[in-house]
Amino acid sequence: MFHPKVLEHDKEEKGSWAKEFAKVQKKFLGEKPFEASTGSGIPLKPLYTPEDVKHILYEEIGLPGSFPFTRGNYPMGYQFMPWANQPVIGCGTPEETRKRMDYLREQGMTGYFGNTFYNLVYDLATHGGFDPTDRAAEGRVGECGMSVYSIPTMEILFKDIPLDRTNVIHITMNQTLPIFSIYLAYAEMRGYRPDQLRGNTMNWYHTYNVVSGLATFPPEICDRLAAELIWFCSKNMPRWNTTNLFGYGLEEAGANAYQEIAVIVSAGMSISRRCMELGLEPDEFLPRFGFQIAQGNDFFEEIAKIRALRKIWAKTNRDRFGAKSPQSMQVRIHTHASGASLAAQQPLVNLIRTTLQALGAALSGVQAMEIPGYDEALAIPSEESARLALRIQQVIAEETNITKVTDPLGGSYYMEWLTAELERTAMELIENIEERGGFIKAWGSGYIRSIVEESARKWKEEVDSGKRVVIGVNKYRMEEEKKPSLYKINPETAEVQIERDKEYKRNRAPGLMNEALKDLERSLVRFRNGDNDHSVIPMMIEAARRGATNGELMWVMKESLGWLSSATVAPC
Amino acid sequence: MDQKTIRILLTKAEQDCHDRGVRYTATKLREAGYEVIYTNFLYPEEIVNTAVQEDVDVVGLSSSTLGHMPVLRHVMQGLGQEGRDDIEVIVGGIVPDDDRAALADLGIRGIFGPGSTAEELIAYIDHCTTDGDRP
Repeated sequence: MFHPKVLEHDKEEKGSWAKEFAKVQKKFLGEKPFEASTGSGIPLKPLYTPEDVKHILYEEIGLPGSFPFTRGNYPMGYQFMPWANQPVIGCGTPEETRKRMDYLREQGMTGYFGNTFYNLVYDLATHGGFDPTDRAAEGRVGECGMSVYSIPTMEILFKDIPLDRTNVIHITMNQTLPIFSIYLAYAEMRGYRPDQLRGNTMNWYHTYNVVSGLATFPPEICDRLAAELIWFCSKNMPRWNTTNLFGYGLEEAGANAYQEIAVIVSAGMSISRRCMELGLEPDEFLPRFGFQIAQGNDFFEEIAKIRALRKIWAKTNRDRFGAKSPQSMQVRIHTHASGASLAAQQPLVNLIRTTLQALGAALSGVQAMEIPGYDEALAIPSEESARLALRIQQVIAEETNITKVTDPLGGSYYMEWLTAELERTAMELIENIEERGGFIKAWGSGYIRSIVEESARKWKEEVDSGKRVVIGVNKYRMEEEKKPSLYKINPETAEVQIERDKEYKRNRAPGLMNEALKDLERSLVRFRNGDNDHSVIPMMIEAARRGATNGELMWVMKESLGWLSSATVAPC
Repeated sequence: MDQKTIRILLTKAEQDCHDRGVRYTATKLREAGYEVIYTNFLYPEEIVNTAVQEDVDVVGLSSSTLGHMPVLRHVMQGLGQEGRDDIEVIVGGIVPDDDRAALADLGIRGIFGPGSTAEELIAYIDHCTTDGDRP
């Protein structure tokens, strides 16, 4: 990348620099070497110069909007439109959640082209497949998300919101298809066709299992379910972003920077292969894949991680899958600033952490951001902490002037070297997972869990020993002066939702719905046995139209497809 | 002194999706010489049944997303009905300060929140599994 004269000059100059540095080093370290590394353990030198990047071809860096998209997906950065504000919203009853949606919108939460993005998370009971009246939902109704599980609860949530001009992101775990079906049935009631709807499904079934070792469908079935939704959308919903590759969850479970991108790319490849088995062309489904990626504390490594991910995904899809359209190669990234980096001690300090993470994400050129509230190590965000989290994005976008120049760190010796290192280390792990038979097999054998857990352990031991500083936890500790006032869901939430659920089910005509559930069950059994006539989703939508709830649809899925769990029991 | 190995049941609700802390805890306790059983549960009675069947000394509930109060009420009641209120029940994860009084009323004093170390937990377990000496 450099003229030989430049490299020669660099070498000469560096000789005298090294002498000066060594003098200072000796004062501080004596004879000991200077030792430093990134969060994921990549060794660092105290300075980077042309010599460190001479092996990198200019084409590997290129321009924004050109393959391999190291410097960004598009020719423009944030000059005309900043990233989309996409805070996670979901608390208590649908009314309470709607209040928070309206509040953040009033405070300036904005998506692309002035549209609003609602990034909605369902409650623990709904994730597990339990309606509020189910005994397994006790203590979990409206907790960590919204108690929305049926057409009437969606009606409260979305009343009067124009669904064709709003991006609705449904944060689900195993209940992606039931919630998607209920949403489509609800939208139809409002007069919207599927092809008018825009938004996002998670469509990633490994959150529970890879991230937290909990219940799920059998692993092979998981990817086939994901491919089924993609197949349906490729035929019916051109504006719907089907799949959210959830690297963030891996980071939260302990994965380091290169592990996060390597494992999630492997997971994406696994779903792509399933889609191709269904006869879809890469350019039919890849443009609707997105990534949710953590932005953690190691400032430069986390930026390099995003740049490396763009390269890896572009090369993988062009070279392994034969994608031709640039949209199939571009990584649309929704940043989730790292919840795992937040501390319960001195919680206001978390505002500083998340500000730096949001700045890092902006310097990496991501498409959307969720910034956690400063109180998220303690509870779900209060109105105040949610507003401040939005303000972080607004200050960076509107006050710092960083939005005027695309990929401002591009060409930095350090950044380009580090990006290449992240690509190299991640590619090694991707090949390793491929040799183990791909993501699903590597998961089944426990390999993925083991590397993530080892990384989590290393982190915790470094914190406990003080090697890794976490302010307020192992350094600069203090007696807390005053506790923040934490958000608590209304104590009547469960009662209200249980009463609602009872009333809804009492007044429903069950005959037609039960018939539809039977049809769905037969379709799911055929699907499980490899006889896929693509009837699962249409039949699930039909059951939802006739009033079936998330709990009822999930129950049929668990029964028909198999469920890996400590307990599988009938809804009560 | 001939001592039986202390058996610990660590458990977490099937719907409670952050197990980084409890898995780390399980590893550290195993390394410290305890026998550790790890389960996910859907209903509180599963915890009681496993604790009784496996004859554990300690039950540790991991809770990262709230919902632990009703579970712990059922567990304490269930262990009492089984005549096993000698089993020490502790809780780790995100436990709001507001729950402390209610937990104390249930007889639960071992609460290990953010910033707790494995050493503190081990010291607590050793202390309360020594005969007749409960903090």
